[in-house]
Amino acid sequence: MNILGHRAPPTAQIGLLIVVFFLLTALIGPWFAPYGQSQSVGDTWAPVSAKMWLGADQIGRDMLTRLIYGARMTIGIAAACTLLSFFIGITLGFIAAVMGSWVDTLLSRLVDVILSIPPLILALIVLGVFGSSIPVLIITIGIIDSTKVFRLARALGMNITVLDYVEVARMRGEGLWWIIRSEIMPNAMAPLVSEFGLRFCFNFLFVASLSFLGIGVQPPYADWGGMVRENAGAINFGLFAPLYPAIAIAMLTVGVNLVVDWLLSIDARPSGAQAEM
Amino acid sequence: MLRLIATRFVLGVLTLLAVSVLIFICTQILPGDVASAVLGQQATPEALKIFRAELGLDQPAYLRYLHWLFGVLHGDFGKSMTNGRVIVDELAPRFINTLFLAGYAAIIAVPLSVGLGILSAINEGRLTDRLANIVTLIGISAPEFFVGYILIFIFTAKLAWFPSLATVDSTMSLGEHFYVAFLPALTLVVVVTAHMLRMTRNSVLSIMSTPYVEMAFLKGLKRSRVVAWHALPNALGPIVSVVALDLAYLVVGVVVVENVFVYPGVGQYMVDAVSKRDVPVIQACGLAFAGVFVILNTLADILAMLANPRLRRRR
Amino acid sequence: MVDNDGNRNRASNLFIDRRQLISSAAAMGLSLGARDAFAAETPKKGGILRLGMEGGSASDSLDPRTYADSIPICYGWQFWNGLVEIGEDGDPHGELAESWEAKPGAKEWVFNIRKDIPFTSGKTLDADDVIWSLNLHRGQTKSGAKDLMAGISDIKKLAKNQILITLASGDAGLPSIFADYHILIVPNNYTDFSKPDGTGAFELVSFQPGVQIISKRKKGTYWKPGRGNFDGVELRYIPDVSARVQALLSNQIDAANRLDPKTVKLVMRAPTVNVVRTKGTGNRFAWVAHCDTDPYKSNDMRLALKYGIDRQKIIDNVFEGFATLGNDTTVAPSQKYYAKDLPQRAYDPDKAKFHFKKAGMANANLDLQVSEGAFSNATNCAVLNQESMKNAGLTLNVKRVSGDGYWSNVWLKVPYCAVYWGGRPSADNQLAQTFLSNANWNDTNWHSPEFDKLLFQARAELDEAKRGELYAECQKLIWETGGMVCFAIGDYLDGYSKKVKGTAPHPHYDMCDQRIAEKGWFA
Repeated sequence: MNILGHRAPPTAQIGLLIVVFFLLTALIGPWFAPYGQSQSVGDTWAPVSAKMWLGADQIGRDMLTRLIYGARMTIGIAAACTLLSFFIGITLGFIAAVMGSWVDTLLSRLVDVILSIPPLILALIVLGVFGSSIPVLIITIGIIDSTKVFRLARALGMNITVLDYVEVARMRGEGLWWIIRSEIMPNAMAPLVSEFGLRFCFNFLFVASLSFLGIGVQPPYADWGGMVRENAGAINFGLFAPLYPAIAIAMLTVGVNLVVDWLLSIDARPSGAQAEM
Repeated sequence: MLRLIATRFVLGVLTLLAVSVLIFICTQILPGDVASAVLGQQATPEALKIFRAELGLDQPAYLRYLHWLFGVLHGDFGKSMTNGRVIVDELAPRFINTLFLAGYAAIIAVPLSVGLGILSAINEGRLTDRLANIVTLIGISAPEFFVGYILIFIFTAKLAWFPSLATVDSTMSLGEHFYVAFLPALTLVVVVTAHMLRMTRNSVLSIMSTPYVEMAFLKGLKRSRVVAWHALPNALGPIVSVVALDLAYLVVGVVVVENVFVYPGVGQYMVDAVSKRDVPVIQACGLAFAGVFVILNTLADILAMLANPRLRRRR
Repeated sequence: MVDNDGNRNRASNLFIDRRQLISSAAAMGLSLGARDAFAAETPKKGGILRLGMEGGSASDSLDPRTYADSIPICYGWQFWNGLVEIGEDGDPHGELAESWEAKPGAKEWVFNIRKDIPFTSGKTLDADDVIWSLNLHRGQTKSGAKDLMAGISDIKKLAKNQILITLASGDAGLPSIFADYHILIVPNNYTDFSKPDGTGAFELVSFQPGVQIISKRKKGTYWKPGRGNFDGVELRYIPDVSARVQALLSNQIDAANRLDPKTVKLVMRAPTVNVVRTKGTGNRFAWVAHCDTDPYKSNDMRLALKYGIDRQKIIDNVFEGFATLGNDTTVAPSQKYYAKDLPQRAYDPDKAKFHFKKAGMANANLDLQVSEGAFSNATNCAVLNQESMKNAGLTLNVKRVSGDGYWSNVWLKVPYCAVYWGGRPSADNQLAQTFLSNANWNDTNWHSPEFDKLLFQARAELDEAKRGELYAECQKLIWETGGMVCFAIGDYLDGYSKKVKGTAPHPHYDMCDQRIAEKGWFA
């Protein structure tokens, strides 16, 4: 199968299928949901039945309906957070790598300081000062995560800035942005895309834990991480309720990363470097 | 190199100072103080006043900070405001426990994930690659505490192989320590493996398209040899920085795992201190954590330089 | 969770409760275990009791003035005793006080202190110890029992083992106050609480707050026959309810408190576990609206909120039936003087709609702030309420806030939010602390001079029937115009291994009034 002029192996096709399926669910799924997302229609953790294909959640709401509604919240917020964190993290990380000296020291130590503040305190401060809303949630996660992206982007950038062709570009008198855009970015792309795929998935859960502290998704809106949390107690007795949202997250995580792998392998490689596709 | 380490050491101390100031400011911004948090629903204005006076909270904030800093510079982290216990005595065993658990998880997770990552890179696209990736990715699809519940369900409730209560104490032998802490360590391994595996795999693969790797292939070297000798050393920088981040996470981010397995680490100690606004305890925990970050990040930078000599020539 | 049982018996105290006087007089001597359902079995000695509990933190201290939650209360009773203990009948019985007598008017009380009771240090208990201990909670103190003791104007030693307590005004309920968990009896001039020196059955081995508290039985015979049977107690902090339940099911602990109503039915199926349920005595779960803040100023609005909540659905789907319907006051059906004739308010969306309209709030938006820090499952209750409100044409925005600082930043400050109230020994206590106009914890800002008058009248009323009527009137006023939507009263749910005996439910608190370590034994 060819996609955008590239041959996609079966795993990539499966990945794409999953991602497209979940994106569609997020966009139009609610039209097909069997019940309202906050409607309590059965007993607590009611078993799977013809009426409720995946049973009921901790207060008797239809699990399938909640999953469908949850797709939009989960994917949308996680994508926004991840994009923001990569924008900040990559920009500053590359600047630190290319400029070096005091800029690097300053930014790196600043990141150390931010990373060192316990996330709980950070979250409580944000909550106290900025209140609870989804934009606040996105910005909070974006900033917290950007410190980690920074560490990676800086490490990647450093490995590249010391290469001869960057030195040459410098001597030619190219500017900071040109070097970042034309020399570093393309060569650091692969690990960054891979990191993006993972951070995106981590954020499904990060969103849920901050929402639990009161920042972000508010009841009755569903998000998958929150659904796992709310139903978690059932697993002690072998009930499946919390597994459904966990499976949804797992499928999307695997799907996204299969696509990421494919994107990375498209990067033209010398023939010998290609193991098997 | 020595000069670099010395510089980093000084910078590290400055970082810790900045962290302590910032955490202190944060605790002042947070609504409520130790008196209102401890008394909770029982708080009356009169009781609050007595409590605050007892703890010296009627002094201005900057004086309290300087007083604390003076103590720390003399090796005294003070006493908890809530129960008057000496912080170092409470923190030290917990911190050792935390480091033990993190180390335990790291000893399994780092070789496992880096090894699997290299294996995946060598076998890119083949079954081993896919399997290793998918299995570890599933591991990060549930919150840590839920992974913990599942492991408890399997290994404690069904198989009865391991205890779910990992309350280690000093009377236990090392073997018992490892046995009792097995499930929390395994939980952490599940949580961090995917990240390191994928970073290793993809960093290595990204180097595979560079000219000198191509050169190695043209020389007719085997793929596994190219990966191990030519690609890996040059990919080490980003791998090390991700490993460092994950190790830091193993030390700092494990409150939830501690909670599920009743493991006596620093995380819960700190959370309790935050909820009670016990500032000196928060400060001490914060410094311990910050120290871990600074040390790990410094090590990551140094390792990256060792792996890539060119970095040493940086301006 | 903060345990709010600071038992404030404030202001008050003119009433003479004959029943209480008589029963306390009759309760001299050690008749405590007599009504125990397990009394037929003779307790056996031996074994280490492994407790796994929620309700404490790394900030806990041994100083009883700071106790506020289950774990400190539990270890407090291991090392120390009180003057008075609440029996399984709900009445006060002598513990370290052998007997007591009120002078007419109940303003002056003589307490006779038990003789030959040893402290851990070897010292023998006398009146000076008791006076020192009581004074820890009086005057300049941050003790949680300070308000309880506020009615005491003087404490005097009459003889080596006898004290006289003088009150500012008569209070027949004084002995119950001394059953409070803060008021532990320590030796005279004792200040270093880190080395517990008490008359309790156990002595401290190691104290690691937030992790575990280990104690062992003292040498020699415990002064209470049939009590103090375990060789030692390991009390572990297990804040996560799933972890606690799993530990109990897999026999890593012998007892756990605060089981989750959601999963308790599944726990009951386990053959090795015995769930003890104390029905309708647990926490009162409620939303509270500020009656002096718009839009809750209008009583129609408040009525609409009360009609718009589907209590039965919440009890079925959130508490799985392990709760009793609440009727908008904090007095529970299990309590004496509960207003039985007051109709139980039920879900009626049409009435709710009608009242919303009357209040000019049809189709409005309201915010309800809830937190798992207020009580666990508060969010689930709120979400079900949100759904039932839809049928009344109202949008209820549920705002989940952090449990951190909930009691200092949200409760009493936000006009509509979640709260729980613990059970109190008497309906009077229960009503006074929340609904009197000048009450510190009047969390609905409800000011009703009529109610205040009725409550004081009830206290002074000697005729039982009339008194009951007056208390019922009080409840009716709250029911009609108050700002509290009390929708459920929870059950206490404890889990024990089947080999633990002596676990009869206690009307005061869970885990046998938090005295399981002293009361229980292994089969």
